[in-house]
Amino acid sequence: MEQLREIMTSKFPSIDFEKEKNLIDDGLITSIDVVGIITELEDAFGISVTMEYIQPMYFQSLESMWEMIEELA
Amino acid sequence: MSYQSFEFLLFSAGILLLYYIVGRKGQKWVLLLANLVFYALAGTEYLPFLLVTLLASYGAGRWMGKIYEEADAELASCQTPAEKKQIKANAKARAKKVMLLALLISVGLLAVCKYTGFILQNVNILLAWLGFEQIGLFKMILPLGISYYTFMAVGYVLDIYWKRYGAEKNFVLYAVFLSYFPHIVQGPIDRYNKFKPQMAEGVKLSYKNITFGAQLALWGFFKKMVIADRLAPFVSNIFSQYDNYTGIIFVIAVVFYAFQLYADFSGCVDIVSGISQMFGIKLAQNFNHPFFAKNIPDFWRRWHMSLMEWFKDYIFYPVSTSNLVKKVRKRFRDKEQKKREELFASCFPALIVWIITGIWHGAAWKYVAWGLYNALLIILGNIFADFNKNAVQKLKIDEENFSWRLWQMLRTFALCCVGRIFSRADDLAAAFGIFKNMFSGLGMKYVAGGQLYRYGMGKMDFLVALTAMGILWAVDMLQEKMPLRETIAKQNLVFRWVLIYGCLFAVIIFGVYGPGYDASSFIYGQF
Repeated sequence: MEQLREIMTSKFPSIDFEKEKNLIDDGLITSIDVVGIITELEDAFGISVTMEYIQPMYFQSLESMWEMIEELA
Repeated sequence: MSYQSFEFLLFSAGILLLYYIVGRKGQKWVLLLANLVFYALAGTEYLPFLLVTLLASYGAGRWMGKIYEEADAELASCQTPAEKKQIKANAKARAKKVMLLALLISVGLLAVCKYTGFILQNVNILLAWLGFEQIGLFKMILPLGISYYTFMAVGYVLDIYWKRYGAEKNFVLYAVFLSYFPHIVQGPIDRYNKFKPQMAEGVKLSYKNITFGAQLALWGFFKKMVIADRLAPFVSNIFSQYDNYTGIIFVIAVVFYAFQLYADFSGCVDIVSGISQMFGIKLAQNFNHPFFAKNIPDFWRRWHMSLMEWFKDYIFYPVSTSNLVKKVRKRFRDKEQKKREELFASCFPALIVWIITGIWHGAAWKYVAWGLYNALLIILGNIFADFNKNAVQKLKIDEENFSWRLWQMLRTFALCCVGRIFSRADDLAAAFGIFKNMFSGLGMKYVAGGQLYRYGMGKMDFLVALTAMGILWAVDMLQEKMPLRETIAKQNLVFRWVLIYGCLFAVIIFGVYGPGYDASSFIYGQF
């Protein structure tokens, strides 16, 4: 989780991930950002994010992203 | 039966009455019957096409569901991770074949119906150029709403394939969704997992649904009949006889067209969404005040949202995460060209999406040009993103400042208007002709001294249209700031009825009717 937090904070320094829990719905990250996040997560955690997981619910918060990583690992 | 016709209102009222009389269990059957009657009235010859797509997508869903269920049963008794992986891979491979077959049938039908004429026409041009004999042309039947229901069916099949939700076993529920009469002609492009829960258990009569639905439909009629249909003759005249004019009149026509298209399409969506709300079914949101967009990507997140969401989920993401894109990105990364990698990752999928978006809108080169124009704007936006950001910082521009926001909105509006010239012109040559004539002089003689009132809109029409456009703008602005319908609902009775009667009388008095008026056409229905 710490590694994920570091990746996301360095990629989006202006977002407070402790506070923001609806990143997609609130328009804080766009579809292009999602693609960038997927690439970083695949490299960092050695996972392959399949289309099943490319849904807003998995990218709304750090917690939901971590849940996805754990399922894919 | 056009959505704005009196017959449609009568039809909807009759179905609504029956819907609540039969009770919850019978409601889906009432809707299925209504959908069938509505579609058959448009043309019984269209029915087989709808039925094929319906059966192909439903059948594929069931088939894939069975494959995944069998795999899950095997996985339950399986021990080693390697075995589990193999079972999952086998199930995925089998499901993929079914998914591809369903897409081949439904997208194939759409392609044959919509693009045969266009392809043959271009093949003939090529054959003539090569000196060969030409192929005889024929026009295919274009079933009502095929572009919309095909996309809804494709979305359903892919969602099942990607295991986003389970396959539907109840054929009636799925058939109601795909053929639902409020969304089949020109969307919104709904998703089955959002639609089903609203109707599966039946709907209880609700005062809020009826009143809010009726108000939304009334506002839709206002947009369509007072704004869109009043602007239509002027726009049509200038665009079809573009050779007769130069200069500023094109600017007026293009701005009017932007409002006409918005009022026409969002008006239709409001009518059908309002009627659907009376049935207790909320359709997907299609507009979020696009004229307030700050840039082109923002505009496309606010305009025809259900289509853009569809393209994002079923084209953009699959392309972005495809092996080809991953390979190219890796090559850039290996060379430590991070900026190029990011540009490629954002621009290549956008280009693919916009070419397909253009082709989806119509079988003509002008739509391809319109798609490429939008792709170009988005790509240029990505390339110059850092430059723009630095410029804003160096110039110490407050991005929340009203004047900056106004500039962003006007710039986006102007860029969209330029693109609309491609899509509204009769063909690509006409679009270039309009661009040429627009900059061939000021053309004051076409607008000064009362000349402006000679192109299909008199002085009174201008007054009504401009006032109504002002009201539309003001309502959009208020909606940007607050939940307007809920706010109105909290006001006292007199105020609410003044608003409702005002809107109703505006439609009756200022709506466009009479000889030469074509009530059957909504612009987006032709796509």
